Amino acid sequence: MKLFIENRGTHWHCGLVDGPCETQDLDALVSDPAHGAIAQFFGVVRNHNEGLEASAVDYDVHPELALKAMSELCADICSEYPVRLLLIHSRGLVRVGEASVVIAASSAHRKDALSAVSDTIDQLKVRVPIWKKEIGPDDEQRWLDGYSLRKD
Amino acid sequence: MTQIHVHCLGVFREIGDGFDVDVPSNSVDAIRGAVAEHLLRLGRADLNDVLKRSVFAEGDELLKDHMVVESSAVSVLPPVAGG
Repeated sequence: MKLFIENRGTHWHCGLVDGPCETQDLDALVSDPAHGAIAQFFGVVRNHNEGLEASAVDYDVHPELALKAMSELCADICSEYPVRLLLIHSRGLVRVGEASVVIAASSAHRKDALSAVSDTIDQLKVRVPIWKKEIGPDDEQRWLDGYSLRKD
Repeated sequence: MTQIHVHCLGVFREIGDGFDVDVPSNSVDAIRGAVAEHLLRLGRADLNDVLKRSVFAEGDELLKDHMVVESSAVSVLPPVAGG
């Protein structure tokens, strides 16, 4: 998968890709001979939202801020769980059935990998500067509301 | 007055990729006020509720309203919705 911006820590790797994320062979990117569990999550564009049909989502990103937030998120997760972690998100158009975010985590035992993946997607949604413009079957478009980053 | 370029993201792209505002000071609070006036002039007062929940950034730093911008460009970040 060709990332246009990425960052690495001791136990994590994150980045952004133009278009949909590849979902193949992610396990190899977090494998560790000391780890007996690998958990993966794929966020996939669905064909409906809030009662409306959808055919694609166009993701807008502030690349530098997003990478910084993703890096901090990965570091936080790796400080909480003994895992190797991969986090990749899309920029641009992602069609129904394609993945817009992929997360993989490996750990010695399953609970840490499963919790790390779950916490990573939960935190990504409220911390990383990425925005969704949903596109309908007749090309109608609407920006989706989300979580404010404002702290004051 | 100082001119600041505001880079638009998310729903703010409906008014373009960016625009310039004149501000009496380089504080984020002053920029927020100038952006609100700009939205009114464009007939997009509907975006003011989003603006109130938005944060400004300079480079890769998120800014609080009491802070002062050092460069001549900021980004306005509406509520995020990744995933």
